[in-house]
Amino acid sequence: MAEVAFVFSGDLAQASFRGFALHRAQRLDLRIDFGAASDRFFDVTVVGDEALIDMFEMACSLGPYDCIIHDVTRRDIASASTN
Amino acid sequence: MTMTSQPTWSPVALSNVIDPSTSTGALVDGAELVVWRDSSGKAHVWEDRCPHRGMRMSFGFVRGDHLACLYHGWQYDTAGQCRHIPAHPQLEVPQTIRMQTFAAAERNGIIWAGATADADPTLLPAEIAGLVPVRSLYADCTAAKALKGLAATPLPISADAPTVEAITENYISLTAGPIRLLVAIQALGKEKIALHLMANEGAPVAALARYAQALRLTLETAPAEAA
Repeated sequence: MAEVAFVFSGDLAQASFRGFALHRAQRLDLRIDFGAASDRFFDVTVVGDEALIDMFEMACSLGPYDCIIHDVTRRDIASASTN
Repeated sequence: MTMTSQPTWSPVALSNVIDPSTSTGALVDGAELVVWRDSSGKAHVWEDRCPHRGMRMSFGFVRGDHLACLYHGWQYDTAGQCRHIPAHPQLEVPQTIRMQTFAAAERNGIIWAGATADADPTLLPAEIAGLVPVRSLYADCTAAKALKGLAATPLPISADAPTVEAITENYISLTAGPIRLLVAIQALGKEKIALHLMANEGAPVAALARYAQALRLTLETAPAEAA
């Protein structure tokens, strides 16, 4: 299991992005914790299989139709090899 | 997604038009479905949408008893569970990655889709032996208008309107002399239907196919109040 913190920044509709991220996390069997958010950025931490976290990042970097993601910052809190 | 506004079982295709290891798309009241047969010939009906990127699964490929998405090759078993992701072949795919499935059954030469995954099979039409396929056809009209048109139009080699028996709300039997025609009505969307026709063995299939073609023209051109 890996734990990764993401900051997605861009033009965000907060509720829409939150719902999208939650849906994708549930689909990918990831635990998700929401952090700070605004119309410019969204902070989330996910825990699960590394490959599935990569898929989550890819999905959220595209985002829902009403959000445009300009940048993604990824910080590995715990990698699979350290758990 | 459910198809709860529809009958418990909706016809989606004639059985003979979908070969083993092939897939096709179908509509039931606007809901997009994939109808596919695994290599053993068993029919399956799912939502026509890959959970990964939303690609139509009806564009996909059957691999044994798996249906693979055309886009990234994700493979789903007959229960709709994702079993293989080519980009991550070692990944143990979580149970959360799965298709929305519907019950599927074959009865009287037709593949029927349940409104839910656990649709009651006892609500399927009763079995009728000795049927042969005629054809499917599509018409831009309501099911009610089609029913009226079917009841009013003589079958081949008969001058009179047929005897009509409603087997279920979307399945009727038309009888005239030696001909018995079974018609399953699939609601595709607003004023769009498909008719799936089967007939008794020995019935003039080619003449019935021409009858159906003519019926469609009538249904699509006659004013609603006249039908």
